[in-house]
Amino acid sequence: MGKILIVDDTLFMRTLLKNILFSGGHTIAGEAGDGEEAVAKYKELKPDLVTMDVVMPKMNGIEALKGIKAIDPAARVVMCTAVGQEQMVKLAIKTGAKGYIVKPFQAPKVLEEVKNVLST
Amino acid sequence: MKEVPAKIEHNNAWIVIKLGIGEDRIALPAPVNKEVLFKTVVDVEEKKNILIITDKTNVEVVYKILSVDKVLAVLKKMILSSCNAYRLMAYFMSPAIKGGVMIKDAQWEKGSVVVVHSGIWFVSPTKQVCVPVNDVAGIELTKREVQGKPTDVVRIDHLESGEVVSSMVLCPLSTLQVLFNFLKETTKSMDMKGTELDGVDQQVAMLIYSGMDSHAIENMLNIPHKQLDAIYDKILKLGLAEVATIRREVQLTTKGVRYISDATKSQTN
Repeated sequence: MGKILIVDDTLFMRTLLKNILFSGGHTIAGEAGDGEEAVAKYKELKPDLVTMDVVMPKMNGIEALKGIKAIDPAARVVMCTAVGQEQMVKLAIKTGAKGYIVKPFQAPKVLEEVKNVLST
Repeated sequence: MKEVPAKIEHNNAWIVIKLGIGEDRIALPAPVNKEVLFKTVVDVEEKKNILIITDKTNVEVVYKILSVDKVLAVLKKMILSSCNAYRLMAYFMSPAIKGGVMIKDAQWEKGSVVVVHSGIWFVSPTKQVCVPVNDVAGIELTKREVQGKPTDVVRIDHLESGEVVSSMVLCPLSTLQVLFNFLKETTKSMDMKGTELDGVDQQVAMLIYSGMDSHAIENMLNIPHKQLDAIYDKILKLGLAEVATIRREVQLTTKGVRYISDATKSQTN
């Protein structure tokens, strides 16, 4: 079980992920609504894993991922984006993302992916 | 012609036969006494270990054959390569995404995509995957990075044991367009205008998709259960969902209250 930081610009998605992760026994370290806040919260909370939306205001998820990797090269980040943006996978993986989930997602699969990434 | 053991449904009973498999046909011995040419097969379905073949010469005749995986794999490969269907050579990846999670070791496989009445088959030398048309949740002509380049693909979302699975098909754009139009036409009955649900209704649908139960949905969206019931009715009426379980809320009778009071007393004494 891990301490997780949820990054998404929509409250609905953050709440959904929070519920899913909580039901899987994880602890929610915190939430961020954009990339800048994500980097700041990562520094402050040092979570075990981050779920990171890709398209966000101020700083997008890929930039935020770079920022987090600059602070902690071992950071575990699972990218989370909408259908049709799968071409971002390669870029995110190159940048150091450990996993990728596509919205809309199903709870058991999200928990499985988080478990896999936490075990790395 | 090779002979393999199998069972066939005949007069509503399963009977054991020696199924003959030839280059262009199968032979069903007595009491069925039929030969089915692969080129006259118009539909192939698979349900667990049963292969359902529809043959059409003058009239449509359905044959249900039950056998071990190895035999069915050979049959499927032979029939799908010659049957009467829309067929195209393509690369496919199935599954590519499961429940929203990318399959990391998913590979493009060279083979063919065969579209029959009841579904879409992905066929390669090692794999025969069927997506029934009724399970197709979405079709999209989209782009995916292949060997470093954004490439046109058709993405097919389908349900597999309650899980949403996406498969990808890659071939020349003109062929993809034909496949896309063909699949769109085949699954037209499931198309919706997109205006049937309002914002909250859509959020409820999304939460159902994600596996949330009624209690979690009420809490997350901060809506009373009567409102959620009304949204469920709307979603059910549109055919977007089906009732999985019915839960009841109950209150204690006088007898129940007395029982609990007595039980509490005995615990405190």
